[in-house]
Amino acid sequence: MPTNQFLEYASVIKTLEVAPHTFLTEFSSPKISAAVKPGQFVMLSFPGSLDPLLPRAFSVCEVKGDGVVLFYVAVGKGTRLLSKLRNGEEVILNGPLGRGFPELARGEKVWLAVGGSGAAVLPIVITSAIDSGAFPEAFYGARTMKQLMHFDNIQIEFATDDGSAGFHGTVVELLKLKMKKDRPDKIFACGPSPMLASVQREFGEKVRTYISVETPMACGMGLCQGCPVRKKDGTGYYLACKDGPVFDTNEIEVATGAI
Amino acid sequence: MKTHLKIGIGKLELKNPLMTASGTSGYGDELGNYFDVAALGAVVSKSLTLKPKIGNEPPRVTEVACGMLNSIGLANIGVERFISEKLPKLRKSGATIIANIAAKRAEDYLSLAEMLSDEEDVQGLEINLSCPNVKEGGIEFGSDPKMLGTITRLVRNVFPKTLLVKLTPNVTRISELARAAEGEGADAVTVANTYVGMAIDIYKRAPKIHTVTGGLSGPAIKPLTMAKVYEVTKSVDIPIVASGGIFTWQDVIEYLIAGASAVELGTVLFAKPNVPEELLSGIESYVSSSKLEHISDLIGSLNTGVEKVSAH
Repeated sequence: MPTNQFLEYASVIKTLEVAPHTFLTEFSSPKISAAVKPGQFVMLSFPGSLDPLLPRAFSVCEVKGDGVVLFYVAVGKGTRLLSKLRNGEEVILNGPLGRGFPELARGEKVWLAVGGSGAAVLPIVITSAIDSGAFPEAFYGARTMKQLMHFDNIQIEFATDDGSAGFHGTVVELLKLKMKKDRPDKIFACGPSPMLASVQREFGEKVRTYISVETPMACGMGLCQGCPVRKKDGTGYYLACKDGPVFDTNEIEVATGAI
Repeated sequence: MKTHLKIGIGKLELKNPLMTASGTSGYGDELGNYFDVAALGAVVSKSLTLKPKIGNEPPRVTEVACGMLNSIGLANIGVERFISEKLPKLRKSGATIIANIAAKRAEDYLSLAEMLSDEEDVQGLEINLSCPNVKEGGIEFGSDPKMLGTITRLVRNVFPKTLLVKLTPNVTRISELARAAEGEGADAVTVANTYVGMAIDIYKRAPKIHTVTGGLSGPAIKPLTMAKVYEVTKSVDIPIVASGGIFTWQDVIEYLIAGASAVELGTVLFAKPNVPEELLSGIESYVSSSKLEHISDLIGSLNTGVEKVSAH
């Protein structure tokens, strides 16, 4: 069967704490790094571990030669464990999985809005957009300056709720302001559900807008059917892992986080 | 092919005792990305219903210590699309196919069995009885030996190939269910489905899955299911297919010693979709290093030492 999905034992090359509880970990992963597209993800599990048991989903942040870099905030058992792995220790990576952001054409203007862990997609999206001759601009929102991070060689406009860095307000408000003078061909967004809902509401009908959703997920491959995303036309669900995680905002209803 | 790993279940001869558990391997097509599904004893499909089902609202899954809770709501494409779209792909993969069926009405089980009986590629059926019986006030079909017997008989009458009945562990005496299945002609029983479990988000004071309770699976349940398998071995003569928390090849051997003839892999596939390869090589080394002629020598070989204990 033809496949571009791989299960790799990937060893840690290095881990950096780039902001409080926020990490970048680089893994040696020759097959996945060669195949991954912006917005696709990997499932990461700890060999032999029964607790944590299930793999965790991470959007790929960056490809560095034979390696992939993951960006995460260590808030749960799995991410804390991940942040403490020593160089050379191995995890199991399954990927690349899912449907990423659409490919961009030469000359296309794209705005990328990210928030929270959604910043993970920033480097890979921007780098790949530049490679395809598109004109990307990056916008990154957080509550306060301390939570923001910089990525090498990528120009970013920041927005903070408390005004401690960049624009004083949310990243969506920043985009709305920009839209008064300018208009991109596409908007990409990745971040917490309330932010995605607001992106969908503000821009979904004006610009081709694509959002990367985050939902609980057990397998990442369509086996468990555990990650439904409500279709906009009311006919049922997509699966975030196979049909997404990136969706055109016209395809889905964004869950706002309420149970 | 390794003849010393072959296992007979009803009219089926499995290449080895490894099967997939229904609902954890889709329709077999995704797993083909990771290993050759024809190497498995059998692939068991997601539960198929007469009409497609969209499934439950999210969240549907959550992790707990050494396990997971799920409440998918039998989301599936329906039996007709399974036959037209998925069966041809599965046939190509060379897998041995067992279709799992679920329904809320007795007559629907009958229709499902009739439709699948006509399909040459479907070599066996596994009956999922976890749905509430709408006519009997919503009691689960599978929790009552009488209802279980009725469905088994209905299906048996129209399905001459290998028939498995998947039992619920959420009862006081699972052996009564096993006896009912055997009495109505089942070729084997699958022991067992998931355990009813629950987890709460203490900050939201809300259940972690939408339906409040869900099915607990994973290594957390292995000792529980081991005891159920052992209980069932003492009450029926038909083969037992064990399903519950297998993560390593040692777990498979343990179930065989307890009395199972084959096993189903479920939650482990989420973490390691190619795990059957690793389990098979572990099982083979164990069988050859234990100087067993055939893997079936292990089945029910538990030495409890009970005979040696004097009765008071």
